[in-house]
Amino acid sequence: MFDVIVRNGLVVDGSGEAAFKGDVAVKDGLIAAVGTVSGPARREIDAGGRVIAPGFIDPHTHFDVQLLWDGAARPALEHGVTCIVPGNCSLSLAPLKAADRSKVVGMFQQIEEMPPEAFTQAFEWSWEDFAGYRDAIARKLSINVAPLVGHSVIRLWVMGEAAQQRTATADEIAAMQDVLRECLDAGAVGLSTSFVDLDEHGRPVPSRFADFAELDALSAVLGEFGRMLQCVPEFYDVDITIARIDQLSELSLKHGIPTTFSPVFDNTSTPDNAPRILARVEEQFARGARVWPQMQTRPIDISFSLLRPSLFFARLPRWVRVLRQPLEARLTSLTDPETVAKMVEDLGPDGGRKMMGGLIVRGGDAAPAEFVGRTLGEIAAERCQVPAQALIDMSLEHGLDVAFLAADMGHENTDRIGPMLAHPLVHIGASDGGAHIASFSTYGDTGYLFSEFVRKSGLLGLEQAVRKITAETADIWGLKGRGRLTPGHAADIVIFDPETIDRADERPVFDMPGEGMRYVRDARGIDTVLVNGEVAYTAGAYTDARSGVVCT
Amino acid sequence: MSAEAVIAGAEIAAGHDGSAELVLRLRYPGGAEGVVVLEAEKGLELMAACGAAHLDELAGHSWRKLLEGACST
Repeated sequence: MFDVIVRNGLVVDGSGEAAFKGDVAVKDGLIAAVGTVSGPARREIDAGGRVIAPGFIDPHTHFDVQLLWDGAARPALEHGVTCIVPGNCSLSLAPLKAADRSKVVGMFQQIEEMPPEAFTQAFEWSWEDFAGYRDAIARKLSINVAPLVGHSVIRLWVMGEAAQQRTATADEIAAMQDVLRECLDAGAVGLSTSFVDLDEHGRPVPSRFADFAELDALSAVLGEFGRMLQCVPEFYDVDITIARIDQLSELSLKHGIPTTFSPVFDNTSTPDNAPRILARVEEQFARGARVWPQMQTRPIDISFSLLRPSLFFARLPRWVRVLRQPLEARLTSLTDPETVAKMVEDLGPDGGRKMMGGLIVRGGDAAPAEFVGRTLGEIAAERCQVPAQALIDMSLEHGLDVAFLAADMGHENTDRIGPMLAHPLVHIGASDGGAHIASFSTYGDTGYLFSEFVRKSGLLGLEQAVRKITAETADIWGLKGRGRLTPGHAADIVIFDPETIDRADERPVFDMPGEGMRYVRDARGIDTVLVNGEVAYTAGAYTDARSGVVCT
Repeated sequence: MSAEAVIAGAEIAAGHDGSAELVLRLRYPGGAEGVVVLEAEKGLELMAACGAAHLDELAGHSWRKLLEGACST
């Protein structure tokens, strides 16, 4: 007797091999059979017309805090993601001494944009060491978690205040090695570090004070376990990024470890950057190094309001002059008819239809609900105004707290991005799930992979796309028994409609502690998600299953 | 030819964090060019330091204006 049989689906098993029509049977949380399965099961799921695939693995998230009250990392799970990697960018919630909590909370708030209540009301701090954090999240997991430990918090644990002041002594480096070893023993799947991130005071996070000897020593410990080094290089400068690729490659070769870095994205203003990065990655792989560039699938949007000056207006001289004034003077200018008329003139004879008409009102702020999700062009037409005038008036009517979104302003050229995502050395990831929550949605990148790059453009095949975010990810990270529909592997399964899988439009929700706002995207085309053999999401709703584990 | 690097041009790009960023093209003595990306705040400070109200007005300014912008915070 099987526990579950998923029948009559198109089996895409994660290996990249051709799909076939068949069944997948589950017993005791594991895949028990794949093919034509006979015999009874306690539960049968009809997957006719649907794909049966391994659950997706998201290798770059910041769900560390959210997991303490939401074991499904919503909405990640409903997008078919059955395993997430939190603890990226040098920051994790353990190991962390009680006295240092406020420092790390500030760093997390800088990255995640979580409201303060998330750290004071939503959970009880019950741990200091990594095993304690692991146990704290493990109680209620619906999704699998493969956590990284952050270099910054290890540094803080060993060096205290000095972690953000200087390089470490030999004794301190040895102590950090011991702490890292303890974390890896407790289930960490690697170490994350950053050369970019800042704390809430604008100071570099602790990992940025490390010298190469420290990173080398910590990588030696990773080598003892064969575990991952994740890194945020200085991505704003391609030459420094390439130097970091070389540095990561040396560590990979010396210690026998996989390394990965992100973000890597492609913009029309810097068209040579991503190709140069990939060329260097190819050279280093040819030497035997493992240095995986993570590339996101989704385009990058620009958002802004008139509350703060934005470079979005950098080609509009009068807007630049007005918006860089202090708030009071800015409001005075924006209520002066003569000034506003000249600002509108900046847009030319169409009054901003071309530049601003496609802007989307985002919501989650003071914008009236009836405007949210609509284009400025539509709203302006209703108001019998040109878009530039409507943007100013709407902003003034709501204390300037109306956010606008210019969609697909970067990493948006499908014909360029698709072949890069298909590249055998490009690791699809970098979703940043759970981060930047009040700025934009970091969910649904997997749906977008299928809708844009498989279904719409055909730049990746279905089997290829599934492999990139399942078996390939599991192999890169050394996640044993995950990522494939193979007997004996964990029964992490997603059943989806290949004709409709997608991400929905971005929308604001107020489901963070303290009614904090974040932007999310709902899933489209996902029927059912099983985690370790139990149905965790089906027919548009989460179940009570708590079958997720901290996996290694 | 200038004896030091100058700003050769500027573009707006979408930044990783969802804000508009300034992509500066610098031309070095000898003719080589490189790109520097500034986050929104630094980009606006640079425009102010150069007295520029339009991206195109950044061209021709010395790279040292980058330092003035950075020092103004």
